[in-house]
Amino acid sequence: AAAGLCPYRALLARRGGALRAFCGSVRGLAAGPETHFGFQTVTEAERREKIYRVFESVAKKYDVMNDSMTLGIHRVWKDILVHKMNPSPGTLLLDVAGGTGDIAFRFINYVRCVRERQLQQKIRHHQNLSWQEIAESYQEDKSKSLGDSQVVVCDINKEMLKVGKQKAQHLGYSEGLSWVLGNAEELPFDDDKFDVYTIAFGIRNVTRIDLALQEAYRVLKPGGRFLCLEFSQVSNSLLSRLYDLYSFQVIPVLGEVIAGDWKSYQYLVESIRRFPPQEEFKAMIEDAGFFKVDYQNLNSGIVAIHSGFKL
Amino acid sequence: GEAMLRGATVVLRRALSGGQGPEPGQVPGSARLEPSLLRFLVCPLSKRPLRYNEATNELINEELGIAYPVIDGIPNMIPEAARTTQKKPPAEGSKQP
Repeated sequence: AAAGLCPYRALLARRGGALRAFCGSVRGLAAGPETHFGFQTVTEAERREKIYRVFESVAKKYDVMNDSMTLGIHRVWKDILVHKMNPSPGTLLLDVAGGTGDIAFRFINYVRCVRERQLQQKIRHHQNLSWQEIAESYQEDKSKSLGDSQVVVCDINKEMLKVGKQKAQHLGYSEGLSWVLGNAEELPFDDDKFDVYTIAFGIRNVTRIDLALQEAYRVLKPGGRFLCLEFSQVSNSLLSRLYDLYSFQVIPVLGEVIAGDWKSYQYLVESIRRFPPQEEFKAMIEDAGFFKVDYQNLNSGIVAIHSGFKL
Repeated sequence: GEAMLRGATVVLRRALSGGQGPEPGQVPGSARLEPSLLRFLVCPLSKRPLRYNEATNELINEELGIAYPVIDGIPNMIPEAARTTQKKPPAEGSKQP
Protein backbone atom coordinates (compact mmCIF):
# COMPACT_ATOMS: atom_id res chain seq x y z
CA ALA A 1 0.00 0.00 0.00
CA ALA A 2 2.73 2.44 0.97
CA ALA A 3 4.71 1.74 -2.19
CA GLY A 4 1.79 2.58 -4.42
CA LEU A 5 1.23 5.91 -2.71
CA CYS A 6 4.67 7.21 -3.21
CA PRO A 7 5.03 8.39 -6.82
CA TYR A 8 8.78 8.49 -6.63
CA ARG A 9 9.04 4.88 -5.64
CA ALA A 10 6.93 3.69 -8.56
CA LEU A 11 8.90 5.81 -11.03
CA LEU A 12 12.11 4.50 -9.57
CA ALA A 13 11.06 0.88 -9.80
CA ARG A 14 10.22 1.18 -13.50
CA ARG A 15 13.16 3.37 -14.53
CA GLY A 16 15.68 1.68 -12.29
CA GLY A 17 14.98 -1.81 -13.58
CA ALA A 18 15.22 -0.94 -17.27
CA LEU A 19 18.22 1.32 -16.81
CA ARG A 20 20.01 -1.26 -14.76
CA ALA A 21 19.54 -3.95 -17.42
CA PHE A 22 20.80 -1.60 -20.15
CA CYS A 23 23.83 -0.49 -18.17
CA GLY A 24 24.61 -4.04 -17.24
CA SER A 25 24.89 -5.17 -20.82
CA VAL A 26 26.81 -2.10 -22.03
CA ARG A 27 29.28 -1.68 -19.21
CA GLY A 28 29.80 -5.35 -18.48
CA LEU A 29 31.18 -6.38 -15.15
CA ALA A 30 34.38 -4.40 -15.42
CA ALA A 31 33.11 -1.50 -13.34
CA GLY A 32 31.54 -3.75 -10.72
CA PRO A 33 27.95 -4.65 -9.90
CA GLU A 34 25.30 -1.99 -10.36
CA THR A 35 23.69 -0.32 -7.40
CA HIS A 36 22.03 2.98 -6.57
CA PHE A 37 23.06 6.37 -5.21
CA GLY A 38 19.79 7.98 -4.30
CA PHE A 39 17.87 7.74 -7.55
CA GLN A 40 20.96 7.37 -9.77
CA THR A 41 22.37 4.06 -10.94
CA VAL A 42 26.07 3.70 -10.21
CA THR A 43 28.64 0.98 -9.60
CA GLU A 44 29.30 -0.17 -6.05
CA ALA A 45 32.71 1.49 -6.04
CA GLU A 46 31.22 4.81 -7.22
CA ARG A 47 28.51 4.59 -4.60
CA ARG A 48 30.97 4.12 -1.75
CA GLU A 49 33.01 7.05 -3.00
CA LYS A 50 29.98 9.34 -3.38
CA ILE A 51 28.64 8.50 0.05
CA TYR A 52 32.03 9.08 1.60
CA ARG A 53 32.05 12.53 0.03
CA VAL A 54 28.55 13.31 1.27
CA PHE A 55 29.53 12.68 4.87
CA GLU A 56 32.89 14.34 4.53
CA SER A 57 31.04 17.40 3.35
CA VAL A 58 28.30 17.44 5.99
CA ALA A 59 30.33 16.26 9.02
CA LYS A 60 30.77 19.62 10.67
CA LYS A 61 27.14 20.59 10.23
CA TYR A 62 25.73 17.11 10.80
CA ASP A 63 24.22 17.74 14.22
CA VAL A 64 22.80 21.14 13.32
CA MET A 65 21.21 19.67 10.20
CA ASN A 66 19.69 16.79 12.14
CA ASP A 67 18.08 19.23 14.53
CA SER A 68 16.77 21.44 11.76
CA MET A 69 15.44 18.70 9.53
CA THR A 70 13.73 16.71 12.23
CA LEU A 71 12.90 19.69 14.45
CA GLY A 72 14.93 18.07 17.18
CA ILE A 73 12.87 14.90 17.14
CA HIS A 74 15.89 12.77 16.19
CA ARG A 75 17.02 13.23 19.80
CA VAL A 76 13.86 11.54 21.03
CA TRP A 77 14.29 8.68 18.55
CA LYS A 78 17.82 8.11 19.80
CA ASP A 79 16.68 8.27 23.43
CA ILE A 80 14.06 5.64 22.67
CA LEU A 81 16.69 3.41 21.07
CA VAL A 82 18.91 3.47 24.15
CA HIS A 83 15.95 2.98 26.47
CA LYS A 84 14.91 -0.03 24.43
CA MET A 85 18.47 -1.34 24.73
CA ASN A 86 18.23 -0.89 28.50
CA PRO A 87 21.93 -1.58 29.02
CA SER A 88 23.17 -2.68 32.40
CA PRO A 89 26.62 -1.76 33.76
CA GLY A 90 29.25 -4.01 32.22
CA THR A 91 27.65 -3.98 28.77
CA LEU A 92 29.93 -3.88 25.74
CA LEU A 93 28.43 -1.87 22.93
CA LEU A 94 29.58 -1.58 19.33
CA ASP A 95 28.04 1.46 17.69
CA VAL A 96 28.56 1.26 13.94
CA ALA A 97 28.31 4.28 11.68
CA GLY A 98 28.22 6.11 14.98
CA GLY A 99 30.34 9.00 13.72
CA THR A 100 29.37 11.95 15.86
CA GLY A 101 28.73 9.90 18.98
CA ASP A 102 25.03 10.47 19.67
CA ILE A 103 24.29 6.87 20.61
CA ALA A 104 27.58 6.37 22.45
CA PHE A 105 27.02 9.38 24.72
CA ARG A 106 23.48 8.33 25.51
CA PHE A 107 24.69 4.83 26.32
CA ILE A 108 27.29 6.21 28.73
CA ASN A 109 24.74 8.47 30.43
CA TYR A 110 22.32 5.58 30.78
CA VAL A 111 24.74 3.08 32.37
CA ARG A 112 26.12 5.77 34.64
CA CYS A 113 22.60 6.48 35.83
CA VAL A 114 21.83 2.80 36.37
CA ARG A 115 25.08 2.33 38.23
CA GLU A 116 24.39 5.27 40.57
CA ARG A 117 20.94 3.91 41.30
CA GLN A 118 22.44 0.48 42.04
CA LEU A 119 24.86 1.95 44.54
CA GLN A 120 22.19 4.07 46.20
CA GLN A 121 19.94 1.05 46.53
CA LYS A 122 22.71 -0.91 48.15
CA ILE A 123 23.25 1.79 50.75
CA ARG A 124 19.54 2.16 51.40
CA HIS A 125 19.12 -1.52 52.03
CA HIS A 126 22.15 -1.64 54.28
CA GLN A 127 23.69 -4.48 52.36
CA ASN A 128 27.21 -5.52 53.03
CA LEU A 129 29.28 -2.85 51.40
CA SER A 130 33.03 -2.88 51.59
CA TRP A 131 34.65 0.29 52.95
CA GLN A 132 35.87 0.99 49.44
CA GLU A 133 32.35 0.90 48.02
CA ILE A 134 31.09 3.22 50.72
CA ALA A 135 33.95 5.63 50.12
CA GLU A 136 33.32 5.51 46.37
CA SER A 137 29.66 6.26 46.76
CA TYR A 138 30.51 9.47 48.59
CA GLN A 139 33.20 10.58 46.20
CA GLU A 140 32.83 12.08 42.80
CA ASP A 141 35.22 9.31 41.74
CA LYS A 142 34.58 8.37 38.13
CA SER A 143 36.74 5.27 38.07
CA LYS A 144 33.84 2.84 38.54
CA SER A 145 31.01 5.06 37.44
CA LEU A 146 30.45 3.00 34.31
CA GLY A 147 30.88 -0.36 35.98
CA ASP A 148 33.16 -1.65 33.22
CA SER A 149 30.73 -0.74 30.46
CA GLN A 150 32.39 0.14 27.20
CA VAL A 151 31.36 1.53 23.85
CA VAL A 152 33.38 1.33 20.65
CA VAL A 153 32.31 3.77 17.97
CA CYS A 154 33.12 2.54 14.47
CA ASP A 155 32.67 4.68 11.37
CA ILE A 156 34.08 4.61 7.85
CA ASN A 157 34.39 8.37 7.62
CA LYS A 158 37.35 10.20 9.13
CA GLU A 159 35.61 13.56 9.30
CA MET A 160 32.61 12.20 11.17
CA LEU A 161 34.86 10.50 13.72
CA LYS A 162 36.86 13.68 14.14
CA VAL A 163 33.69 15.60 14.94
CA GLY A 164 32.62 12.86 17.34
CA LYS A 165 35.92 12.84 19.18
CA GLN A 166 35.90 16.62 19.53
CA LYS A 167 32.34 16.51 20.86
CA ALA A 168 33.35 13.88 23.39
CA GLN A 169 36.21 16.02 24.66
CA HIS A 170 33.97 19.07 24.78
CA LEU A 171 31.23 17.25 26.71
CA GLY A 172 33.65 15.48 29.02
CA TYR A 173 33.25 11.90 27.83
CA SER A 174 36.45 9.88 27.95
CA GLU A 175 36.12 6.77 30.05
CA GLY A 176 34.78 3.63 28.41
CA LEU A 177 34.72 5.20 24.97
CA SER A 178 36.89 4.36 21.94
CA TRP A 179 36.92 5.30 18.27
CA VAL A 180 37.78 3.10 15.31
CA LEU A 181 37.89 3.88 11.61
CA GLY A 182 36.34 0.82 9.99
CA ASN A 183 33.93 -0.49 7.38
CA ALA A 184 30.60 -1.98 8.47
CA GLU A 185 30.90 -4.53 5.66
CA GLU A 186 34.31 -5.66 6.89
CA LEU A 187 34.55 -5.04 10.63
CA PRO A 188 37.98 -5.12 12.29
CA PHE A 189 36.65 -6.90 15.36
CA ASP A 190 36.95 -10.45 16.58
CA ASP A 191 34.03 -12.90 16.71
CA ASP A 192 31.63 -13.09 19.64
CA LYS A 193 32.83 -9.96 21.36
CA PHE A 194 29.97 -7.50 21.89
CA ASP A 195 26.75 -7.57 23.90
CA VAL A 196 24.98 -5.07 21.70
CA TYR A 197 25.45 -3.81 18.15
CA THR A 198 23.73 -0.60 17.14
CA ILE A 199 23.53 1.23 13.86
CA ALA A 200 21.54 4.44 13.88
CA PHE A 201 20.74 6.15 10.58
CA GLY A 202 23.75 4.43 9.06
CA ILE A 203 22.68 1.21 7.42
CA ARG A 204 20.95 2.80 4.47
CA ASN A 205 24.35 4.28 3.51
CA VAL A 206 26.01 0.88 3.48
CA THR A 207 26.45 -0.49 -0.05
CA ARG A 208 26.20 -4.17 0.84
CA ILE A 209 23.66 -4.31 3.64
CA ASP A 210 23.74 -8.10 3.63
CA LEU A 211 27.45 -8.08 4.43
CA ALA A 212 26.98 -5.53 7.20
CA LEU A 213 24.28 -7.71 8.78
CA GLN A 214 26.51 -10.78 8.55
CA GLU A 215 29.33 -8.88 10.20
CA ALA A 216 26.98 -7.68 12.91
CA TYR A 217 26.04 -11.28 13.59
CA ARG A 218 29.66 -12.38 13.67
CA VAL A 219 30.91 -9.85 16.23
CA LEU A 220 28.00 -10.25 18.63
CA LYS A 221 28.25 -12.66 21.55
CA PRO A 222 25.69 -15.46 21.68
CA GLY A 223 22.71 -13.83 23.35
CA GLY A 224 23.79 -10.49 21.93
CA ARG A 225 21.35 -7.99 20.46
CA PHE A 226 21.23 -6.21 17.13
CA LEU A 227 19.46 -2.85 17.10
CA CYS A 228 18.94 -0.69 14.04
CA LEU A 229 17.35 2.75 14.04
CA GLU A 230 16.55 3.88 10.51
CA PHE A 231 14.14 5.82 8.37
CA SER A 232 11.40 3.57 7.08
CA GLN A 233 8.09 3.54 5.25
CA VAL A 234 5.15 5.59 6.43
CA SER A 235 1.91 3.65 6.68
CA ASN A 236 -0.54 6.55 6.95
CA SER A 237 -1.45 7.92 3.49
CA LEU A 238 -2.01 11.57 4.46
CA LEU A 239 1.15 11.66 6.53
CA SER A 240 2.99 9.98 3.66
CA ARG A 241 2.04 12.79 1.28
CA LEU A 242 3.02 15.52 3.77
CA TYR A 243 6.24 13.68 4.47
CA ASP A 244 7.09 13.50 0.75
CA LEU A 245 6.36 17.19 0.36
CA TYR A 246 8.54 18.07 3.32
CA SER A 247 11.33 15.76 2.23
CA PHE A 248 11.62 16.82 -1.37
CA GLN A 249 10.75 20.51 -1.04
CA VAL A 250 12.08 21.57 2.36
CA ILE A 251 15.03 19.41 3.28
CA PRO A 252 17.33 20.11 0.32
CA VAL A 253 16.65 23.82 0.79
CA LEU A 254 17.61 23.55 4.46
CA GLY A 255 20.69 21.71 3.31
CA GLU A 256 21.66 24.57 1.03
CA VAL A 257 20.90 27.30 3.55
CA ILE A 258 22.50 25.70 6.59
CA ALA A 259 25.26 23.54 5.17
CA GLY A 260 25.69 25.09 1.74
CA ASP A 261 25.11 21.69 0.24
CA TRP A 262 21.90 20.98 -1.63
CA LYS A 263 23.10 17.81 -3.32
CA SER A 264 24.07 15.94 -0.17
CA TYR A 265 20.65 16.47 1.29
CA GLN A 266 19.01 15.53 -1.95
CA TYR A 267 20.93 12.26 -1.66
CA LEU A 268 19.76 11.89 1.93
CA VAL A 269 16.12 12.17 1.01
CA GLU A 270 16.45 9.81 -1.93
CA SER A 271 18.36 7.25 0.12
CA ILE A 272 15.52 7.20 2.63
CA ARG A 273 13.04 6.43 -0.15
CA ARG A 274 15.31 3.70 -1.47
CA PHE A 275 15.66 1.81 1.78
CA PRO A 276 13.58 -1.38 2.06
CA PRO A 277 10.35 -1.19 4.06
CA GLN A 278 9.98 -2.68 7.52
CA GLU A 279 9.01 -6.25 6.59
CA GLU A 280 11.63 -6.56 3.88
CA PHE A 281 14.39 -5.33 6.14
CA LYS A 282 13.18 -7.70 8.83
CA ALA A 283 13.63 -10.58 6.37
CA MET A 284 17.16 -9.42 5.56
CA ILE A 285 18.04 -9.43 9.25
CA GLU A 286 16.63 -12.94 9.60
CA ASP A 287 18.70 -14.03 6.60
CA ALA A 288 21.83 -13.02 8.47
CA GLY A 289 20.94 -15.52 11.17
CA PHE A 290 19.20 -13.39 13.76
CA PHE A 291 16.26 -14.69 15.75
CA LYS A 292 13.24 -13.02 17.32
CA VAL A 293 13.50 -10.26 14.76
CA ASP A 294 10.99 -7.53 15.38
CA TYR A 295 10.43 -3.86 14.64
CA GLN A 296 8.84 -0.89 16.32
CA ASN A 297 7.50 2.03 14.26
CA LEU A 298 8.07 5.52 15.55
CA ASN A 299 5.97 8.41 14.25
CA SER A 300 3.85 6.14 12.05
CA GLY A 301 6.88 4.59 10.40
CA ILE A 302 8.91 7.66 9.54
CA VAL A 303 11.49 5.84 11.61
CA ALA A 304 11.64 2.21 12.75
CA ILE A 305 13.75 0.31 15.27
CA HIS A 306 14.56 -3.23 14.17
CA SER A 307 15.80 -5.70 16.76
CA GLY A 308 17.22 -9.21 16.57
CA PHE A 309 19.14 -11.65 18.71
CA LYS A 310 22.08 -13.94 18.09
CA LEU A 311 21.39 -17.23 19.83
CA GLY B 1 38.73 -15.86 0.61
CA GLU B 2 37.60 -13.28 -1.92
CA ALA B 3 37.89 -10.45 0.57
CA MET B 4 41.47 -11.37 1.34
CA LEU B 5 42.35 -11.53 -2.34
CA ARG B 6 40.80 -8.11 -2.91
CA GLY B 7 42.57 -6.67 0.10
CA ALA B 8 45.89 -8.22 -0.80
CA THR B 9 45.82 -6.82 -4.33
CA VAL B 10 45.01 -3.35 -3.01
CA VAL B 11 47.87 -3.55 -0.56
CA LEU B 12 50.27 -4.79 -3.24
CA ARG B 13 49.33 -1.88 -5.46
CA ARG B 14 50.07 0.59 -2.65
CA ALA B 15 53.34 -1.15 -1.91
CA LEU B 16 54.48 -0.59 -5.48
CA SER B 17 53.81 3.11 -5.10
CA GLY B 18 56.19 3.01 -2.13
CA GLY B 19 54.86 3.11 1.41
CA GLN B 20 57.58 3.77 3.92
CA GLY B 21 55.52 4.04 7.07
CA PRO B 22 55.96 6.57 9.90
CA GLU B 23 59.33 7.43 11.41
CA PRO B 24 59.91 5.47 14.60
CA GLY B 25 60.38 7.90 17.42
CA GLN B 26 58.34 9.89 19.83
CA VAL B 27 54.61 9.32 19.46
CA PRO B 28 52.62 11.82 21.53
CA GLY B 29 50.28 10.38 24.17
CA SER B 30 47.15 11.62 22.45
CA ALA B 31 48.09 9.83 19.24
CA ARG B 32 48.62 6.44 20.86
CA LEU B 33 46.22 3.57 20.62
CA GLU B 34 44.00 2.96 23.61
CA PRO B 35 45.11 -0.35 25.16
CA SER B 36 41.54 -1.50 25.83
CA LEU B 37 40.91 -1.67 22.07
CA LEU B 38 43.48 -4.42 21.67
CA ARG B 39 41.01 -6.89 23.12
CA PHE B 40 38.65 -6.41 20.20
CA LEU B 41 40.70 -5.39 17.21
CA VAL B 42 41.64 -7.86 14.48
CA CYS B 43 42.65 -7.50 10.86
CA PRO B 44 39.48 -6.75 8.87
CA LEU B 45 40.68 -8.96 6.02
CA SER B 46 41.84 -12.10 7.78
CA LYS B 47 40.12 -11.55 11.18
CA ARG B 48 43.41 -12.62 12.75
CA PRO B 49 45.10 -10.94 15.74
CA LEU B 50 47.29 -7.87 15.36
CA ARG B 51 50.44 -6.76 17.10
CA TYR B 52 50.65 -3.16 18.29
CA ASN B 53 53.97 -1.54 17.46
CA GLU B 54 54.37 1.32 19.94
CA ALA B 55 57.32 2.88 18.19
CA THR B 56 55.59 3.36 14.85
CA ASN B 57 52.07 3.51 16.29
CA GLU B 58 50.79 0.83 13.95
CA LEU B 59 48.82 -2.39 14.19
CA ILE B 60 50.70 -5.14 12.40
CA ASN B 61 49.33 -8.27 10.79
CA GLU B 62 52.48 -10.41 10.62
CA GLU B 63 50.95 -13.10 8.41
CA LEU B 64 49.85 -10.79 5.64
CA GLY B 65 52.71 -8.38 6.21
CA ILE B 66 50.54 -5.29 6.51
CA ALA B 67 50.32 -2.46 8.99
CA TYR B 68 47.33 -0.30 9.89
CA PRO B 69 48.15 3.23 11.06
CA VAL B 70 46.88 4.85 14.24
CA ILE B 71 46.18 8.53 13.70
CA ASP B 72 45.33 10.80 16.64
CA GLY B 73 44.57 7.71 18.70
CA ILE B 74 42.10 6.36 16.13
CA PRO B 75 43.15 3.12 14.41
CA ASN B 76 42.50 3.22 10.67
CA MET B 77 41.27 -0.29 9.94
CA ILE B 78 40.36 0.24 6.30
CA PRO B 79 42.45 -2.19 4.19
CA GLU B 80 43.16 0.45 1.55
CA ALA B 81 44.91 2.53 4.23
CA ALA B 82 47.28 -0.24 5.27
CA ARG B 83 50.88 -0.42 4.08
CA THR B 84 53.07 -3.46 3.58
CA THR B 85 55.75 -4.00 6.17
CA GLN B 86 58.07 -6.14 4.10
CA LYS B 87 60.25 -5.44 1.07
CA LYS B 88 59.42 -8.87 -0.37
CA PRO B 89 55.85 -9.81 -1.38
CA PRO B 90 53.46 -10.89 1.41
CA ALA B 91 53.73 -14.39 2.94
CA GLU B 92 52.45 -17.59 1.32
CA GLY B 93 49.01 -17.27 2.85
CA SER B 94 47.81 -14.59 0.43
CA LYS B 95 47.23 -15.18 -3.28
CA GLN B 96 48.78 -13.33 -6.23
CA PRO B 97 46.37 -11.46 -8.53
